[in-house]
Amino acid sequence: MLAFAARRLLVSLGLVWVVASLVFLVIHLIPGDPAELLLSQGGIAPDPAAVEELRERLGLNEPLWAQYLTYMGGLLRGDFGLSLQDEHPIAEEIALRLPRTLELVGMAGLLAVIFGVPLGIAAAMRAGGALDRILSAWAGFALSVPVFVVGTLAVLVLAQQLKLVSAGGYVPLARDPGRHLALLMMPAATIAVGLGAVVFRVMRSSVLEVLEREHVRAAQARGLAPAAIIRRHVLRNALTPVVTVVALHLGSLLGGTVLVEFVFNWPGLSGYLVRAVEARDYPEVLGIVLVISTLFVLLNFLVDLLYAVIDPRVRHG
Amino acid sequence: MRRSPIRALVIPGALVLLVVLVALAAPILPLADPVRQDVANRLAGPSAAHWLGQDEYGRDVLSRIIWGARVSLTVAALAAALAAVVGTLLGILGGYFRGLVELVTVRVAEIVLCFPPLLLALLVVTLLGPGAGTLVFSLAILFAPGFARVAYAETLSARALDYVTAQQALGARTRRILFLTLLPNIAPPLIVQFSLTVAAAMVLESGLSFLGLGVVPPSPSWGLMIRGARASMEQAPLLLFWPCLALTGTVLLLNLLCDRLRDALDPRGKAAGRPGFLGRLVALPPAPEPRQAPGLLTVDGLTLSVPGPQGPIEVVRDVGFTLAPGETLAIVGESGSGKTLTGLAVMGLLPAAVKPVAGSILFTARDGRVRDLLRLPEAEMRALRGRDLAMIFQDPSSSLNPLLRIGSQLAETLRAHGVRDGVRDRVVGLLRQVGLPDPERAADAYPHEISGGQRQRVMIAAAIANGPRLLLADEPTTALDVTVQAQILALLAELKCAEGGMGMAFVTHNLAVVGEIADRVLVMYAGEVVEEGPVADVFAAPRHPYTAALIASMPEGDAERLTAIPGAVPQPWAMPAGCRFAPRCTLAADACRATAPALSEVAPGRSSRCLRWEEVA
Repeated sequence: MLAFAARRLLVSLGLVWVVASLVFLVIHLIPGDPAELLLSQGGIAPDPAAVEELRERLGLNEPLWAQYLTYMGGLLRGDFGLSLQDEHPIAEEIALRLPRTLELVGMAGLLAVIFGVPLGIAAAMRAGGALDRILSAWAGFALSVPVFVVGTLAVLVLAQQLKLVSAGGYVPLARDPGRHLALLMMPAATIAVGLGAVVFRVMRSSVLEVLEREHVRAAQARGLAPAAIIRRHVLRNALTPVVTVVALHLGSLLGGTVLVEFVFNWPGLSGYLVRAVEARDYPEVLGIVLVISTLFVLLNFLVDLLYAVIDPRVRHG
Repeated sequence: MRRSPIRALVIPGALVLLVVLVALAAPILPLADPVRQDVANRLAGPSAAHWLGQDEYGRDVLSRIIWGARVSLTVAALAAALAAVVGTLLGILGGYFRGLVELVTVRVAEIVLCFPPLLLALLVVTLLGPGAGTLVFSLAILFAPGFARVAYAETLSARALDYVTAQQALGARTRRILFLTLLPNIAPPLIVQFSLTVAAAMVLESGLSFLGLGVVPPSPSWGLMIRGARASMEQAPLLLFWPCLALTGTVLLLNLLCDRLRDALDPRGKAAGRPGFLGRLVALPPAPEPRQAPGLLTVDGLTLSVPGPQGPIEVVRDVGFTLAPGETLAIVGESGSGKTLTGLAVMGLLPAAVKPVAGSILFTARDGRVRDLLRLPEAEMRALRGRDLAMIFQDPSSSLNPLLRIGSQLAETLRAHGVRDGVRDRVVGLLRQVGLPDPERAADAYPHEISGGQRQRVMIAAAIANGPRLLLADEPTTALDVTVQAQILALLAELKCAEGGMGMAFVTHNLAVVGEIADRVLVMYAGEVVEEGPVADVFAAPRHPYTAALIASMPEGDAERLTAIPGAVPQPWAMPAGCRFAPRCTLAADACRATAPALSEVAPGRSSRCLRWEEVA
């Protein structure tokens, strides 16, 4: 198991290096002068002096290999460069905002699993029955509502009309844990509506698929009670696709909470990214993309470990 | 009866068409100008001139919704079309040529899938600036890999098919094969992918517009409208509601259409209904139990049916046999003869679709009571399974749960029937009894860590764990190597001697096995018993042409060369009117084709379902 983990970790670190290099290369792969591209607005050619200044600031005048070494050296020291807008260190801002996004994504994933997994099992057990039909129809609906619509309507109804919760915002955990959690729940629940529906669907079809397998019939032939068959011979076997899907979605949520953070004024990484995009602050965008991609790779590493925990065959593979 | 998948398409299809038509007709509909501002009447409620009211700049909401549909649908459809063309091309090329081409097409496209979609779209917007053109471009990049994957997978499976190979052999040009032969054959999943993509693209487009990074104002877009209405949601909550409804409704319709489309194009994907395992869904109504029954197991008049398009089809008809304690009965027949279903009926493990129609299965359990297994409630049936009744299945590698240790799967069998103390010792003892080397270690091993033959030994250990009265073995050696087969057969024979009085029913299509292990043989054909008798007698002088043909086709037989039986078992819904074997029988006469022969006793302890049994050589 340990050897397996070490092997996977090595592969993941290699991937992180590849991603970092790719992110570095993106700016050079685009045809034309990147500085000019970043400064142009609506087809008007930018001021040559400003372009030259930006080239100097981004270090674009140095040879490519020197730029690459400077960039990689910076990354190893945790230095992502300075913001183009206010000269603020990018790494500092990311370190401040990343935990908030992770917290949001983690809570959303937790809620989605808490509701999606048991309901998926329940629906599969009575496939074709009333409960299954209702839940499946609901899942189809929940998957069709864009997340910002759910969020906006939740603010409208729960905060504006019924005044049950506040419309959004952020309070640090250290200052007021209760209020922090309350403010976290709205955006997390908003994400969990769609994510929970995904988990539900995957869990349901996975359980149905496992129920058809030979070893379930064999367990039945040994006289096991239905509850024991479900617990020992169905659930764990049905879990692998769910882990895959949840991980995939959590990964894409790392950069995809943009809309929810915007709706609920949650000062996470995504909002920072949108601001950087709007200001065309290239170093900021690259830094954020790099961090998110690295987390994505890390998440995949954790998923591989989880597979190995669930399925003994993976450990030897 | 379920609606046909094509008819289920009509409603969502018509509604999607309606949305598209309304959006297309926007310029000719009598609508207010969607961008004309009327600040004096900002946030005005519904009126005769403005059915859905006016927005924060006094623009007509209805008009903006309909024009917004035009923008959203155009962007989404263009992006999906672009993605479809590029992605499909990459996928087909990669799947058809493989090798290096596959690397630079499909694998490169998959890199895109590693990025969170919204993140990638934002990156493109940073570089190119917001606008409808950028939007189409970035969405196309996002969705092309999806098409590439589908096209790639479909091409891989289609290129191996006969018609593609045939065209290659005929020397058709590659371009012709790709676009005239391959493309139409892989089109259905691509159509599904297209409608899926349009819905996903709409969601992303509206999301980006909502952030102010998509469609540029004042162009109407549902995302932009929601963004605008958010600011004034306290004064005019309905303003928020209409674009939300339009967006969600359209996406829902597209997704629904997509689901139905998938069902219509790929009927296999649809689950066949309820799982058959949660208790028996099918048992005959209870009847008074007989006190006495001959032997250990007496099956009488067993008839099983499955639903067919023209009513129920009898897959097993009027099957009967008796099994004495300590006796081994072989049930022999080709695939489709009903031999496995008969075994499953005894265990009460029939698939949900198969229903017992008539007959009885009388079983004398350890407590001496006689029960009719066809009429036993599930809870009582469960108590018998794994204790008095045990079954070994064909494929030992799929019969064990791969995620649980072997010892734990044996232990649960013991615990399910009330064993509490010394479970571990009993498990190790059982593994030793079935001849596993190092039973201690085997108990702690996972199924994938031991060989196929050893896995079948484990299955046998589980079957005999609670000392069954009757052991059903359903082709237990078919999935194994020849040398291992012999070992397993020897083990079964040995166990039967050890467990005094255990009866065994051995389902197989292999006559050589029958000679080695069985006392009596029951030959089944097309759901019926055609011959029964002691193995030695039947082998020496078969009394049914089918048995004779089976013996002649045995590789170890004395015949000079192997004679295969010409023809195939008739399909259950197309049974011959007379004798079911008549179409393949060399002795068949007119009488055989006219009337179905009954099973009759041809000698003491022997029966045959043949009119001309005396002529069988």
